Amino acid sequence: MSANPRDTGRKEGAFEREPARRVFAGELRECRYQFKDGEDEKSPTFVLLPTGERSNRIFLVGTLTEKQRQGEQNIFYRGRVVDPTGTFFIMAGSYQPEAMQQLAKVEAPAFVAVIGKPNLYQKPDGSVLVSVRVESITVVDKDTRDLWVLDAAERTLDRVDASKAGTAPDVIKAKEQYPTIDPAVFRKMAYDALAQIKI
Amino acid sequence: MDFSEAAERISRKFSKDGQPADPKKIEGKLRRLVQEFGVQPSEAERSVTNELAKEYNLPSAGSGTGGRSGGGTEEKTIARAAPGEWVTFEGKVVALSAPASPAIAQGGIIADESGAIRFVVWAKANAPAMTEGSWYRIESAVVDEYKGVANLKIHSGTTIKEISEDRALIPTPVPIKDLHPGIGGVRAKVIQEWDASHERMLQSGLLGDESGTIKFVMWKEPGKEKLAIGSVYNIFYAQVDEFNGRLSLNLNTATIMQEDADIPVSGGESAVRGSIVHIAPGSGIIKRCPVEGCNRALSRQNYCPVHEIQPNFVYDLRIKGWLDDGEKTHNILLQRDVVESLTGISLDAAKEIAENNPLGMDEVFLRMRDAVLGRYVICHGREFDNRILVNKCERVKFESSEHAALLNRAGGAS
Repeated sequence: MSANPRDTGRKEGAFEREPARRVFAGELRECRYQFKDGEDEKSPTFVLLPTGERSNRIFLVGTLTEKQRQGEQNIFYRGRVVDPTGTFFIMAGSYQPEAMQQLAKVEAPAFVAVIGKPNLYQKPDGSVLVSVRVESITVVDKDTRDLWVLDAAERTLDRVDASKAGTAPDVIKAKEQYPTIDPAVFRKMAYDALAQIKI
Repeated sequence: MDFSEAAERISRKFSKDGQPADPKKIEGKLRRLVQEFGVQPSEAERSVTNELAKEYNLPSAGSGTGGRSGGGTEEKTIARAAPGEWVTFEGKVVALSAPASPAIAQGGIIADESGAIRFVVWAKANAPAMTEGSWYRIESAVVDEYKGVANLKIHSGTTIKEISEDRALIPTPVPIKDLHPGIGGVRAKVIQEWDASHERMLQSGLLGDESGTIKFVMWKEPGKEKLAIGSVYNIFYAQVDEFNGRLSLNLNTATIMQEDADIPVSGGESAVRGSIVHIAPGSGIIKRCPVEGCNRALSRQNYCPVHEIQPNFVYDLRIKGWLDDGEKTHNILLQRDVVESLTGISLDAAKEIAENNPLGMDEVFLRMRDAVLGRYVICHGREFDNRILVNKCERVKFESSEHAALLNRAGGAS
């Protein structure tokens, strides 16, 4: 999306919440570029999706397959949420007490809806891990999961189409940052995800 | 700001008085004030005008001292009067309001065929008192700006002559979406009436026409009557105020005529499909102040910000949260009946939980959160003040036709 909602005549100072992007695990996994919008300490951080959209927050629904409690002094929970295209790594620490308690309560396996912030981490071996810091997580039913797959597929296709047009600043940035990724692969990925839902 | 236009305007004003004023120089001064010093454009124009006036020994605008007789002021219509100008025109006093300060003898609204403007008569002006409904010729008054709205100042240099003939003056209403701060008239229907938030307030609510909606307020004053909900009114000479970028109509100065008709009102109604991504604190079961017309949410200790401790509170349900469609996040507010049907928890059931569960009201919040967070819904309602007041909220169902269409779209171009 090229039009930033904050440019469309909003009064200065009016708070606008960052929307939660719908992105499949298969695309989020490819993210390598993270940036800040503005110089301020509180400026939001964005992860640039290979299809050419910035994302400060994501919404995902999948199956929580495993969760672990870690840490001694600073307890935090890690979990894996699987969608038709791959795995999301989620975590909630004591800085998000509500999210941590929600995650602690869920018994795997279960369909969960997660709202959270994507972050890039460099592992000791130099590889990059994309993980989602949970803001909230709730147990949902299969219908909600299927609706999310449709939603994520539709948004992915929208982004692939916009990327083909190739005029938005974030699309151009994505082409610079991910020169080896052809956004068309995500069209195929969306198709495969949709095909996994039984008609 | 269009600097050259403003500079031309100022220059014209001075050359009319036989004083040479170079627009280029004026433009430079304006630019410096606005761009380097961050001065508001209207204020910059005013201060440059005053600076030149001082230089040429002319009375400065808005100072209210030393009027010029004739000559300098051009006869014009109200709509064409711009801040910083001296004006002479004929108009009808359509409203008078109580002076806000002893320095002010009279205040109100004066109108002609082209429009209307607020006016202030300084006590020092020693002007004859004007009466509502009469026509006057006003010579050498000054237009300036107060809170971004043009305002007519009648000072000691102004001459006021009553005109005996009564001319017909028929104002035309404008669509609500075209209103701008100042004085305005609309033909609109009362679509909502809100609880008074102040004891001096007679009525507040929402007016609507085909183009949009606007908040209105009427303060208690002798002779003021409430508007009837659902009725259509022609409202002229209302004050259009701006606060935080939103407009509202103050009807105290207005001439209001009820009309026996019905007009279509812009839905303002929107439907947003998305997922509920956040439930805000203050959702679930809440206690409200029982004092009539108050209805505020109480704190946990039953404290109302206005009526203090209220042990005989009234329970209510509501959900405040964020609905996210992936592109934009909408603030939503769900009232009791919508909450009941969406969560499946009735007010009575919630009361029972609040009073008997060890977690009390928190338990209701948690159950409602777990029931709706992360779910896909369609919210119908009126968007107001950046928030959707939801009157219907239904869950989205899986449609295999949507599934098939997406499969085609994804497969079609691969």
